[in-house]
Amino acid sequence: MKITVKRACVIYALILAFVIGVAILMFDVVTKGESWATGKLSRHFSYETDISEIIDINGKTLVSNSDGERVYIKDVALRTATLHVIGDRAGKIDTGIDTLYSVIPDAYNIVDGVYYLKSEDLGGVASVTLNIDSGANKVAYNALKDYKGCVAVYNYKTGQLLCSVSTPAFDPDNVPADLDETLEKYEGVYIDRVTRGTYTPGSIMKIVTAACAIENIPDLYTRSFNCDREYETGDGIVRCNGTHGEQNFVQAMNNSCNCAFAEISIELGAEKLLEYAESIGFNQELYAGEIRLTTSVFEPDKKSRTELGWAGVGQSTTRTTPAYFLSLMGAIANGGSGYAPDRLRCFNTSSGKELTREAQIIVSLNRETAAKLAELLRSNVRDEYGDNRFPGLEMCGKTGTAQLDGKDSHSWFAGYSQREDLPLAVVCIAENGGWGSHAATEISNEVMQYFADNPQAIS
Amino acid sequence: MREKPQSKFNQTAVMFLISVFQVLCMVSLVTNDAVYSSYVARLKDGVEALALQTFNTQIFYIFMIFIAAEWLYMALGTLITGHDYFELEAVAFFLCGIGLTVCASFGPDNAITQLIAIGIGILVYIAVGLFIKDVNFACFMRTPAAAASVALLAFTLITAQEINGTKSWLYIGGVSVQPSELVKVAFILVGAASLEKLLSMVSLTKYIVFSVACVGLLFVMKDFGTALIFFFTFILIAFMRSGDMRTIFLICAVALLGAILILIFKESVRERFEGYRHVWENTGNSKGYQQSRVLTYIASGGLLGLGIGEGKLRNIYAASSDLVFGVICEEMGIIVGLAVLASFVGIALFAIHASKTAGSTFYTISAVSAAGMIMFQLSLNVFGITDLLPLTGVTLPFVSEGGSSMICCWGLLAYIRAAGAPFTAPKPDVIDKKPPTPPKKAPKKTPVKVKTKTKTKTSVKEGAV
Repeated sequence: MKITVKRACVIYALILAFVIGVAILMFDVVTKGESWATGKLSRHFSYETDISEIIDINGKTLVSNSDGERVYIKDVALRTATLHVIGDRAGKIDTGIDTLYSVIPDAYNIVDGVYYLKSEDLGGVASVTLNIDSGANKVAYNALKDYKGCVAVYNYKTGQLLCSVSTPAFDPDNVPADLDETLEKYEGVYIDRVTRGTYTPGSIMKIVTAACAIENIPDLYTRSFNCDREYETGDGIVRCNGTHGEQNFVQAMNNSCNCAFAEISIELGAEKLLEYAESIGFNQELYAGEIRLTTSVFEPDKKSRTELGWAGVGQSTTRTTPAYFLSLMGAIANGGSGYAPDRLRCFNTSSGKELTREAQIIVSLNRETAAKLAELLRSNVRDEYGDNRFPGLEMCGKTGTAQLDGKDSHSWFAGYSQREDLPLAVVCIAENGGWGSHAATEISNEVMQYFADNPQAIS
Repeated sequence: MREKPQSKFNQTAVMFLISVFQVLCMVSLVTNDAVYSSYVARLKDGVEALALQTFNTQIFYIFMIFIAAEWLYMALGTLITGHDYFELEAVAFFLCGIGLTVCASFGPDNAITQLIAIGIGILVYIAVGLFIKDVNFACFMRTPAAAASVALLAFTLITAQEINGTKSWLYIGGVSVQPSELVKVAFILVGAASLEKLLSMVSLTKYIVFSVACVGLLFVMKDFGTALIFFFTFILIAFMRSGDMRTIFLICAVALLGAILILIFKESVRERFEGYRHVWENTGNSKGYQQSRVLTYIASGGLLGLGIGEGKLRNIYAASSDLVFGVICEEMGIIVGLAVLASFVGIALFAIHASKTAGSTFYTISAVSAAGMIMFQLSLNVFGITDLLPLTGVTLPFVSEGGSSMICCWGLLAYIRAAGAPFTAPKPDVIDKKPPTPPKKAPKKTPVKVKTKTKTKTSVKEGAV
């Protein structure tokens, strides 16, 4: 009898298992509840039927509904240039707004669930307004010409992504008969290169190395770096693009000198460099609105000094995503706070309410470091590339070249305008575009000039 | 008699709070337009909707009858037995009230059926309690009960039409009955009585044969959830009696092997488990359809809920039965959902506590295995629909819509009450041939406490000795 009573305690084990199960469930509800509640399955807002229109920042309707069919804007160039923002009919571009409405802003909180969305009787979401200026997209698409690559421009004070183009693209109303991802001319055609493309950063990575050096090497600005085209690391050689001779840090940045930056990287060491890069977003899961950016990867070699040197100048195994560098530019321009580039301005409910969301900071820099980087980037354009490449824009920036084996290098430009009335950052990559100062800077300039001439999108 | 004056007050207070909660549910049902419109929207073609006034009046009367029945039970119980320890019933009433609210939000017809089920449940509860009052009689009945159970299951298997992939429903005079639910009550009786009587090989073998027959028949009916519950209860009873962990592990290992073999060779079975932990990839088919909706809408409700009738999970198949926990979380809030779960923990704790004071091994085993069965079924239900366990399609005890399930739950509750009944002089243990000792010191329980943090949260806590 007594022993049976003791065995009754097996129920305690059962209760414990049950409580653990409930705890797991509640943990899931707290951590994943928002994505569940605002996911596509929820009939509290019916996406398929209710989001009838997608409108650009200037009020131009890019997509509408007619008899249950999606109707794209008439202008072929606009259709093509906004393809990766909006998505294709087949839903293969999974980052397209039309394909992916995962989060309706302000719709959910853990205490009330989706109560407030319901209680106001919003009647569902009627349309979506984008931050994208489709006119700028058209200019950018034309500027890219036959290059594969991407251009993105955003307002670094608000996080609004005003222009986002990825090529190759196609006209969603006249899908090419030979459209096939495996063909070279359509390589990555369903990928939005701005958010999902992943590239060797090349010299634009020197911005990160410089930032780490500014914070960790006290005599950085008074030192002299020697460049005789090759830098002996002790276990190998890092080659430079020129013979720069004696130079100070600012000049080394202007020259984009591999020798100087390899020396700096090796002096900082892999661990410090890695720690810094991770603190500003490398190897992290970052989101731009509802889109998860492809993670920027930085893994400096802890054994080989040569590999570490190459990592510090943006080669080796380092990879990045254009949207990330856009936010980094934003952080430098905006006193250290780099917003995530957001394509979405608001959801418009059928009762006339606008549901907006707050801009998210994804890159944070020390304010002083940001100011020093800003000076370096301004000096690059003023003293090295020349302001005449960006007439009237007061640009700051850095070019880059991602070296490829046996092919023309990818051409990078990342920068921003210092003008108060033009708080825009730009990033551009032209695949196989050759050395950085050519293709990417020209394309960036063309798009920035569009905004200088058409400032209505800048609030 | 034994009770202290203030315990009476507490008992009344608990019932009062539960009644207030139920009145609030009723008010919410009749004042919220969404309830009526969801009821109208759900009606099938050709069925005429009740007018709003009639709808509200019916719901009002249903709740009044329910609340009155609760008070009547308490009052009569106190008068007849002379004590007022009704904490177990109070928890069950709380759960039934929530279930009734969900049913009522689907329409007065559902609520009337559920109310009748609760009524029959309470009668069964009393009947089972009387039936097992005499251990010797309970032991005597085990063979007929076992034979009847197997016969009933076999009859169901032969005659039942396949509905939703299982053959577990019988239609008797227009009423649908799930015999496996009724057999659950007998299963505990047979198990506890067989092992109480004699620990002889014959008795044990008979019990194993009976268990295998039940689980096997349920398996053939494709009612895997119930089969699992029976198997689990069998293990629990075997453990209670033998305490031999090695044997238990051996049984489990053999069962696991059998289950794996079945999964490998039987496609129809395998399909049911393929969605497990992959529901988000199977939102459009039966493997993950219900689970993904349950998770979506549990989160949609938030802690406070969207309001009764305002949910969307109600439009999914089996919302008021298998998925009722999701409906509660969505419409009444996760806090109420957790209160429901806490109530079951209260029942289980009561069973442990009661087993310590039980007058006979029969009562100890039956109370523990009944509590174990309820907890196990609860886990299969709640974790099944939320994808922490494979979905097996069992009901949430006391809450889900459905008569058979409701009756079974009250029947099981009777075993727990019998072990902890403070008014029954413990029967002499049949095995220990001790002279009938005077009743042990009456189990003194601290009166039931109710925490009422918010209007919607009522958790009943069982006191310690």
